[in-house]
Amino acid sequence: MSDSSANPDKIQKRGDSSGAEPAALSSIDHSIRVPVVLFAAAAIAWLLVGSVFGLITSFKLHTAGFLGNWEWLTYGRVRPATTTVFLYGWATNAGFAAGFWIMARLSRNLLQNGTLLNTAAVFWNIGVLVAVAGILLGDLNAREGLEMPGYAAPILLLAFVFIAVWTVLTFCYRRSRHAYVSQWYILAALFWFPAIFGIAMLMTVYAPARGILQSVVGWWYTHNLYALWLTPLGLAAVYYIIPKVLGKPVHSYYLASAGFWSYLFFASWAGMHHLSGGPVPAWIVSTGVTASLLVLFPVFIIGLNHHLAMKGNFAVLRTSPGLRFAYFGAVAFTAVSVVAALTSFRSVKEVLHFTHFTDGQMQWGLYAWFTMAMFGAFYYFLPRVLGREWPSSTLIRVHFWSSASGIVLYVFAMCIGGWIQGSQMNNPEAYPDFVEIVRNTLPWLVMASLGGLILLVGHAAFALHCLWLLLLPKTAEAGASLTSEPESMKLAAK
Amino acid sequence: MTDHNQNKPGPREGRLDPEAASDESLQDVHAALAHRKDEVSEGFPIMPIMIVLFFSVLMLVGGIYMANYGGRFDPLVYDERKGPMAAVADEDEEIDIVALGGQVYQRNCQACHQAEGQGIPGAFPPLVETDWVTGSKDRLVRVVLHGLQGPIEVRGEQYDGVMQPFGHLSDQHVAAVLTYIRQDWGNDASEVTEEEVAAIRSEVGSRGAWTAEELEPYVD
Repeated sequence: MSDSSANPDKIQKRGDSSGAEPAALSSIDHSIRVPVVLFAAAAIAWLLVGSVFGLITSFKLHTAGFLGNWEWLTYGRVRPATTTVFLYGWATNAGFAAGFWIMARLSRNLLQNGTLLNTAAVFWNIGVLVAVAGILLGDLNAREGLEMPGYAAPILLLAFVFIAVWTVLTFCYRRSRHAYVSQWYILAALFWFPAIFGIAMLMTVYAPARGILQSVVGWWYTHNLYALWLTPLGLAAVYYIIPKVLGKPVHSYYLASAGFWSYLFFASWAGMHHLSGGPVPAWIVSTGVTASLLVLFPVFIIGLNHHLAMKGNFAVLRTSPGLRFAYFGAVAFTAVSVVAALTSFRSVKEVLHFTHFTDGQMQWGLYAWFTMAMFGAFYYFLPRVLGREWPSSTLIRVHFWSSASGIVLYVFAMCIGGWIQGSQMNNPEAYPDFVEIVRNTLPWLVMASLGGLILLVGHAAFALHCLWLLLLPKTAEAGASLTSEPESMKLAAK
Repeated sequence: MTDHNQNKPGPREGRLDPEAASDESLQDVHAALAHRKDEVSEGFPIMPIMIVLFFSVLMLVGGIYMANYGGRFDPLVYDERKGPMAAVADEDEEIDIVALGGQVYQRNCQACHQAEGQGIPGAFPPLVETDWVTGSKDRLVRVVLHGLQGPIEVRGEQYDGVMQPFGHLSDQHVAAVLTYIRQDWGNDASEVTEEEVAAIRSEVGSRGAWTAEELEPYVD
């Protein structure tokens, strides 16, 4: 796949950080287009599938008989299928696409060994397909976020081997002298994922740990999939997009560095608060609560770093869709982390545990933060990789406002509805009838479904727009203007 | 589509993200920041102190939380408000004394005195409608703690057997089983408390089985 013929004078040599010439940006973008577009297209396809499944799941909560005649569309299967499609189909594919593009650009080398990535893309998506089909056939595993059957995981891990080899090669043979923040996060995430995924599959499916340890491993994985896999990829995108669009450096190197290490250290412990109230040793839950609280430190630092970079440049949000989506995500990241820390305490969990609040909070992190950041990355890299401009600003606007209002409505409905549900369940004197409490959640669940419907509209606009972009003829001028390298920051460096 | 201007985003909102910084400059600035020592004093002199303060507050709160709810990292502490093995020796729990007595009765007494306390005529005396059970607690406790042998008369019938001592049962279990037989099957006598059993146990000490005559003084 390597496209070195485009630049015969810049044939790759070992980037020993002194002699090698960095490759031109436009040729890097051009060289990596096939794998990035493959992953991005798969991600968007899964996003549409996931939105439909998610909507079905949401409808089933308030209209119990909806599509109830098909066994494979019962709630117990559609809900885990939604989670799997969303986590491994959309989020992970999107993270791969954005991550590889940023990695290739910052390593300033033409794509080498692109076949590895293309093979990985094929295997990964076959793996997700097998996982979803297995779940719909009833072959599932009762662990949130890890519902896929045991025979799907090896395909995903195989795909990951190709990805890991490529990433390490790209980083080792980079022609840039310094590793930028985004590269730290991408590399860390790529090392974390196979570790947490492999350990979790081993200890819950292949050689299940006995008793409560299985649940501990399950929640450790589910939380870390969000905290150590998706969040670093999202942060890598935000750390890249904000300075690139604004032409300002990251506000502080020290903040970025402190945020990176403290986040990786604290976040990996935080998942244990999900076991609150369960039959696990008290210190495990307490450690999770304490870690959730300490995660606020890196979150504060990361948020501060982004906010200080944005300061005085908020007008750019109106003109740059990439930045608008990414900044929405970054703000949601700070907000959901604060909420997660506050709701991890036992006294709060007493009310919110096992209510719809949990789902609302999950989508807050997964959609309002990660997915929005990924949309930002897509709006930024797709035109550059394809060498074309987005054909319609209306579609972008439709997508942004649908996604933003849809997710705000969904999260609001699930969180408030869940809070009311939890308070009523804790008050048996006033609400002796459990069915009445369930009935009281219905308006909130309908509101959440409405949010899901609005999201689907936005996703349809996004998918349509991406298809349109893909089918457009390449315009040479646009390609040039997209990848030119302004000098505005050269001064800042001195 | 081609009149795109990077520095002055036009009214056609949302077409394209301007790229205001090159990757090279991004990394160079980053590297420069990494090597620059005086960064902290620039613009935000108060910031590092605030961050350290923030971190200290978080650590303090986290530490207090772990001290209060961490269960001293003991793997046997499942409830952060209680000590290890709290579920086994839970003093706060309300105990249904009659239910407990029923279980003790099933394990220790039922084989001879039968499920309804009716006994077996000629072999084992009944426990219902007899003064031996519903009458003096002093006598009843002594019988259970130390056993009974020799001829006795219950509800007009003569028995001459041996009842083994049950002193190995705890005070709580003896009290429970006696309350059970005094209050179930239509019997309606006062309960026997743990303290009463304990008092008699320490007063008598260890001895062999009683006879009906020896128990005469304790009838009232």
